[in-house]
Amino acid sequence: MPETYDKKTIADLLDAKLGWPELHEMMSSYKDPDRFDKYISVLQDRAPWPEQILLPLGPHLFIVKKSNGDIVTKSTSGFEFGDYRENWKLKARIFVRDTDEKYEEIYPKLSHAHPEWMELREFYDPLDGRLLYVEAVPPGYPIVHNFEPDLQGFYEEWLGRPL
Amino acid sequence: MAKRAPRILGIDAGGTMTDTFLIDEEGRFIVGKAQTTAYDESVGFLASMEDGLKYWDLKLEEGIGTLRTGIYSGTAMLNRMLERKGRRVGLIVSGGMEDYLRTERGIQTYLGYSYSDRLHLVTHHHNEPLVPRNRIFGVRGRIDVFGKEAIPLYEKEVYSAVETLLDRDAESIVVCLLFSYKNGAHEKRIGEIAREVMAKRGKELPIYLSSELYPVRQDMPRLNSTLMEAYAAEPSRTSLTNVRKCVRDHGGRFDLRVMASHGGTISMDARELARTMISGPIGGVIGARYLGAQIGVKHLACSDIGGTSFDLALVTEGEFEITQTPDIARFLLSMPLVRIDSVGAGTGSFVRVNPTSNRIEVGPDSAGARIGMCWEKSGVNTVSITDCNVVLGYINPDFFLGGEITLDRQRAIDAVEVQIAKPLGLDVYKAAQGVIELFEDSLKSSLLGKILGQGYTPASYNLLSYGGGGPLHVAGYSDGLAFDDVLVPAWAPGFSAFGCACGDYEYRFDKTLDLALLPKTPAEDRQALVAAINGAWAQLRAEVEREFAKSDVPVDRVGYRPAVRMLYYGQLNALEVASPKQQLESAEDLNLLIKGFEELYSRIYGLGAKTPQFGYTIAGVVMSGSTEVEKPILPREPLAGPDDWKDLAVKGSRPVYYRSAWHEATLVDLEKLPAGSDIPGPAVVESPSSTMFVPPGRRVRLDEHRIFHMSVRAAAQLKLAAA
Repeated sequence: MPETYDKKTIADLLDAKLGWPELHEMMSSYKDPDRFDKYISVLQDRAPWPEQILLPLGPHLFIVKKSNGDIVTKSTSGFEFGDYRENWKLKARIFVRDTDEKYEEIYPKLSHAHPEWMELREFYDPLDGRLLYVEAVPPGYPIVHNFEPDLQGFYEEWLGRPL
Repeated sequence: MAKRAPRILGIDAGGTMTDTFLIDEEGRFIVGKAQTTAYDESVGFLASMEDGLKYWDLKLEEGIGTLRTGIYSGTAMLNRMLERKGRRVGLIVSGGMEDYLRTERGIQTYLGYSYSDRLHLVTHHHNEPLVPRNRIFGVRGRIDVFGKEAIPLYEKEVYSAVETLLDRDAESIVVCLLFSYKNGAHEKRIGEIAREVMAKRGKELPIYLSSELYPVRQDMPRLNSTLMEAYAAEPSRTSLTNVRKCVRDHGGRFDLRVMASHGGTISMDARELARTMISGPIGGVIGARYLGAQIGVKHLACSDIGGTSFDLALVTEGEFEITQTPDIARFLLSMPLVRIDSVGAGTGSFVRVNPTSNRIEVGPDSAGARIGMCWEKSGVNTVSITDCNVVLGYINPDFFLGGEITLDRQRAIDAVEVQIAKPLGLDVYKAAQGVIELFEDSLKSSLLGKILGQGYTPASYNLLSYGGGGPLHVAGYSDGLAFDDVLVPAWAPGFSAFGCACGDYEYRFDKTLDLALLPKTPAEDRQALVAAINGAWAQLRAEVEREFAKSDVPVDRVGYRPAVRMLYYGQLNALEVASPKQQLESAEDLNLLIKGFEELYSRIYGLGAKTPQFGYTIAGVVMSGSTEVEKPILPREPLAGPDDWKDLAVKGSRPVYYRSAWHEATLVDLEKLPAGSDIPGPAVVESPSSTMFVPPGRRVRLDEHRIFHMSVRAAAQLKLAAA
């Protein structure tokens, strides 16, 4: 059981290319102390833009630091959703499944939620149309603000370095 | 010296090495080793046997010629399961149950995992099915829970299922329907149809019916067990037959038998061969029962420390416990297995400091045969328990496996320093001692938990310690427990193999019944119960006879032991109660079973827990039949004076670290130690295959059978010593 893994292993982990025994051992072992940095560096290598990734929010959504010092939410396509403390979903293209017909595009008949009780909101990237997130809420519920990270606290107190 | 005449042969064909154990008429034994040859196990077996015989200066033919009995146990069948390299099985189940193997029972997704992996859902994982979905067919029809036909069998579906299975090149057909343990009529009919279809197509495949092989409740374990017969056991029969042929070709005149899960040995012609798959660790328990009977000890707590695990079992009133649904290779099975509790901690277990909690953790993974960091060639880079033993001076780095491997003590010290001592801010010896104490304490608490959990106290038991690491740690994990006596056979490392040779030649069959025996049950119904029990016994007895007939054992040489599995009406766990009579003659005889059950129940759960007012359930019947076979003889040596060893067996002395201080321990050579020796601690008794540590304040005495008795130190004495 190694204390750290090489970058290729982390990249394979990200791409779901690891075999079960290896994956199982990784999950059962102590957390490798440099996992976050290696993980970020794999993501950074793959990002088509130069801004520094501070925190991933999803497979194609990141909080990045721009050259002017602004910290924004940005997707793989390069679309910027504004300041990271604001809810990025408000700037996404939203598709709402709230009828039987719309549900049945993706579910078998009678196997989906009742549209009067729950709707699915799909958040798409305005530039390349990639599905970034889905939320399931009762109709009329405000757009959920999932997460407002304490970036400064995370970097300074957990990683032990300035943001 | 006269030539030795080996009488008993034990073969343990592991994944990498095949060990042969030969015991002669005086109880002396030797061990031969050779590489396992997976393509033909008989090649490795012969090489291993030749290797062993050379110690007695015997040639292969000479050695085989005098043998009276031979027991085989191997892991080939298990490996076939683990590597999924079994037969192409076709499976027919009740309609609607075709996804059995994909949905499994939840427990099978985390069987065999460490505690933390069992808790965390992300680590749970489905097994790859033994039969792919396109060779599993459901047929409609239903036998209900009472054994009555609720829906007739849709025979058309059976015909088409069998046809398709043949089209898809199935090599055998397994049938497992719901409630077939109650009534096997539908399964039987499927078997007939399958034979009819095969005859028409000029094919002949083996058919396995769960109602014939494992007529017991719980369909997942029943299905797994039946599948295993077809998938893994049948191919193994071929390789076993090769080994037997090989023995015969070299002049062997004995029937090679196989150790089976229920604790007896069976012929390789036995119909239920899958139960030989899980025989590995039970040898020691069989040996313990036999040893106990020979030296007049009825209660033994058996503890076996190997490289990867600590196995515990109890022998109570001269009998071991049987569990009904054991698991192996992450499958629940429905076959009787000698009950053993296993803790994932052995001498090869890795030791780490958890970076989150800063505490020492032992296992669950282990260096196993790679020993630890003290052996550079192993490539291991995590400290193991053995490393700590080397650091503390308990293990002689120049005499490991009799000097076959030289260990690097300094390398162990450095490793413990870097990986354990420094992170904890401790001195390296204190750190190593802490690890060993933690290890032994955890063994001690599992041991105590097991004994208390069964309603007994250590004082009722003799502790028996064996396995490669048993003698080294027995002082530690028995410290503070008031056992009646602590026994360590001088042949502790080979005890499991010795145990295999102690097994009876015994077949055992189980059958589920559901018979309520309530206070209000009228006399005529009681008479019907008696008939049902007798009928089931007779059926199983016929099966025992049929199996013995295959090996030409005459019926009059077989002793039968009928039993029932019984519980209080409404409770969940059945106890196995031996019947004092071969057959129940009247309703009155039911009271004999009740009496036996009540006695057993109150011994385990206490008198106050008895609830006879609820009545009883007879959940099943058991029939065992056994015949006399040659077993090992315990060595018997003349007793020397208690201090004679000082002139005969002392090799020198060595400093050992114990309870935060260095002590000069006497080094004793086990091979030269005469029976009767009484050795005070601190001492280290060494042999090529094991090391025994006797700490200061305790002593060991070697008896005439070459069994060590270690002085017991109860908790009260421990406190006194500390004060």
